[in-house]
Amino acid sequence: MNDRMPLLARARGLTRQARLGFLMAILCASGLAIAQGSAAKGAAQGAAPSPGLVAESSPGPSAPAADASPSVLPSSAPSPDESETAAPTNACAACHKAISAPQRAIAEQWEASIHGKNGVGCADCHGGDPTSDEIGVAMDPAKGFIGKPTRSQTVALCGTCHSDVNRMRQYQIPTDQLVKYQASVHGQRLINSKDVRVAICIDCHGSHDVKKASDPTAAVYPLNVPKLCASCHADAAKMKPYGIPTNQYALYAASVHGKALLATQDLRAPTCASCHGSHDAKPPKSTEVVQVCGKCHTATQALYEQSKHARLDVGPKCWTCHGNHDVAQPDESRFFHPEDVIFDCATCHNPADQTLILNADRFAKDADRRCDTCHHSASQIYAQAQGIHDALDQANQAFLGAQARIAEAAGAGMIVSDADVELSEARTNLIQARAAVHTTKLTVVAKLAAAAESKAAAARKFADARLNESTFRREAMVVVVAIIFVNVVLLYLMRRRIERGRGTEP
Amino acid sequence: MAAAGRAEGTGSRVGDFFETRLRIGPLLSALVHVRIPIEARPYYLGGITLFLFGVQVVTGTLLALYYQPTPDAAYDSVKYITSVVEFGWLIRSVHHWGANLMIICVVLHLLRVFAHGAYKFPREFIWIAGAGLLLATIGFGFTGYLLPWDQRAFWATTVGTEIAGSVPVIGDGLLGLLRGGADVTAATLSRFFGMHVLVLPLGLGALLLAHLVIVHQLGLANPKRPEPRPGTFGASATAAPEKLRPFWPDYVLDEVIAWAVMLAILVILASVFPAGLEDKADPLITPQHVKPEWYFLSVYQLLKLVPRIVGIMAPIVAIGALVFLPFLDRNPAVTPRKRPIAILVALAAIAVMVGLTVWGQYS
Repeated sequence: MNDRMPLLARARGLTRQARLGFLMAILCASGLAIAQGSAAKGAAQGAAPSPGLVAESSPGPSAPAADASPSVLPSSAPSPDESETAAPTNACAACHKAISAPQRAIAEQWEASIHGKNGVGCADCHGGDPTSDEIGVAMDPAKGFIGKPTRSQTVALCGTCHSDVNRMRQYQIPTDQLVKYQASVHGQRLINSKDVRVAICIDCHGSHDVKKASDPTAAVYPLNVPKLCASCHADAAKMKPYGIPTNQYALYAASVHGKALLATQDLRAPTCASCHGSHDAKPPKSTEVVQVCGKCHTATQALYEQSKHARLDVGPKCWTCHGNHDVAQPDESRFFHPEDVIFDCATCHNPADQTLILNADRFAKDADRRCDTCHHSASQIYAQAQGIHDALDQANQAFLGAQARIAEAAGAGMIVSDADVELSEARTNLIQARAAVHTTKLTVVAKLAAAAESKAAAARKFADARLNESTFRREAMVVVVAIIFVNVVLLYLMRRRIERGRGTEP
Repeated sequence: MAAAGRAEGTGSRVGDFFETRLRIGPLLSALVHVRIPIEARPYYLGGITLFLFGVQVVTGTLLALYYQPTPDAAYDSVKYITSVVEFGWLIRSVHHWGANLMIICVVLHLLRVFAHGAYKFPREFIWIAGAGLLLATIGFGFTGYLLPWDQRAFWATTVGTEIAGSVPVIGDGLLGLLRGGADVTAATLSRFFGMHVLVLPLGLGALLLAHLVIVHQLGLANPKRPEPRPGTFGASATAAPEKLRPFWPDYVLDEVIAWAVMLAILVILASVFPAGLEDKADPLITPQHVKPEWYFLSVYQLLKLVPRIVGIMAPIVAIGALVFLPFLDRNPAVTPRKRPIAILVALAAIAVMVGLTVWGQYS
């Protein structure tokens, strides 16, 4: 506008013919500019990823489409490209802060957000003209204003920038989120079933208050992820249409993984996203589980792959013995049921062709994830499992015995660092022996268990020596204190004699 | 008294042998004559503290024969003393408990002197030297705590020196002086060792000498009546002559009995609760709960409750008031009943310190 004023002022000084020519020239230039702008917008929209590219049939009940526009990328959606050139200032926040407390809160959330700090303004998602303080201009649909984007539009809006390699390069952020989302259970239902109740970007990341995933206050920070997922997946009403259980969070929170993450705040522990994926959320298939668990339990995976279990097409996988959400601390009690298990042929074999079957329902309860759930007590494999169990149990008892003895010595104030070193080695051997169970090889487990037992015995020997020394010290102390006591008595008698000799009392 | 140039006979051949060569008899005679009013009840706390100081000197010297004051070797040398050296555990444990008992006895001695008004004329300098001895003893505790170079030692010293660094005006300089740099490092260990075995013993020795010489010259205070000032004609001037108790052998014998009892307590504590050792100091692993030794807990807890400047200045002002107490308290009376304000203030201060210490321990 400022640039135009001097031009018009100058035009007033020209002849009528010249003025007409000048006006024509301005109109032509404006028309050209509008045409170029439309072409650029069309090009930008054309380059944006389309969810239709990965559209496949989605399982589950079909849901009613709540949005008027189910398309993930509507043509009216604003593009950040527009605001980048047109919005050096953001007048939206200035006005909206003055409207009401909720509007002020939204503006302030945006200012504090990662977007607000990096120049992603209101118009980048809502459209309009952020440079104008006139409501009719700033929120003019002709200027691309769309108001609150629909849930379908939102995914496309976020994806427009976040799938743009050139735009994201400076932040070193991956650009595959939209593609992954389109392949996820959430994305598939949104695209194929037009189900807008599924999780979209803003449900996890927030809308105006988007934070970096590394921000501990962000809902997507690893420590907060289980509760974030549970906000929908533990809600029976929300999950009812999909027939999904809602006890996953409760099981996870009580599991060894959940305790490590939620109670100990150990960021190495897996969150929901570690196994299911985040943008590409989907339950791993039974055949994928070994790879998924092996992502962290690398050494255990390698041991498992040496086993006979791994060679079976329908053989036991990680979940068969450990469960999934409710993974418990493994120990020697996980080998056998306390009582004998009743078998019939159909327990493990298909009656039709005698092939092996592994029915997931039989392992639903933690108490049933045992070796003898499959292996009959009269079988050779059971005897081998018994041998592995006994070797581990013996090593574990030796370890616990040494540990208790060391604690006793430490409690007596003795320095037990030498015993601690041996115990630490025993612990390492015991962990290795327990991990070797995944090979299902008795000789491998027995060798490591024997090493653990030997180290535990050495640790116990050191602890016993320290306790003997402590006993000696206390016995010697009694003798020394008795000698001191005798001296005190003698000195007291001497003092009394002096006083009597002087004929005075103290 | 022997005439100049001639020694008096001691009545024994050995005594005569030394007396003719040293002529120390008159000095010893003077030393064993200290005025002890029959009403005085010192509870032998000063003497026990002196005994404990002696124990610390002996055990500290033995420890220094093996101890190596570098971050690489300090921890292992302490471990070696405790686990390998014959009776090393006993020497270290006695040193550890001796330090704690010494602080307790110094404080009890101070409270006894306060309760009996024994800091008043003419014993002001005894009190000031005694307050200096208390501070030196705490300094021993602070510097000695770092020497094992285990996790507790390292982090308690990090917190302790950080607090010292918060003192207004001189804080930065004090922090640099204590640490010998920005962090607790080899330079800090070297300085703390130097202070622990050279600076503080010399300082404490000088203060102790002054304290004992003045006590010897003035004798013990009478807790029933104040010392008359020159030129006054109070009741004490006209009262019957003061009854005294012989310093030698009566008082000395009582002290020796008290020392023997304290030795028994030391042996029991060292045997039943030997000095421990945590993991080697690691500047990269901060323990979950870092707490200073029990005698700094009240200051530590105060710092958590009040603004930092208040938490720093309050103990400094309290120490200043303690040192100059004889000049602040102008009431000549010595019996507690005639000094209700002083006694109440002291009781309140004790209650606050004990309360903060207990709170700090369990917070």
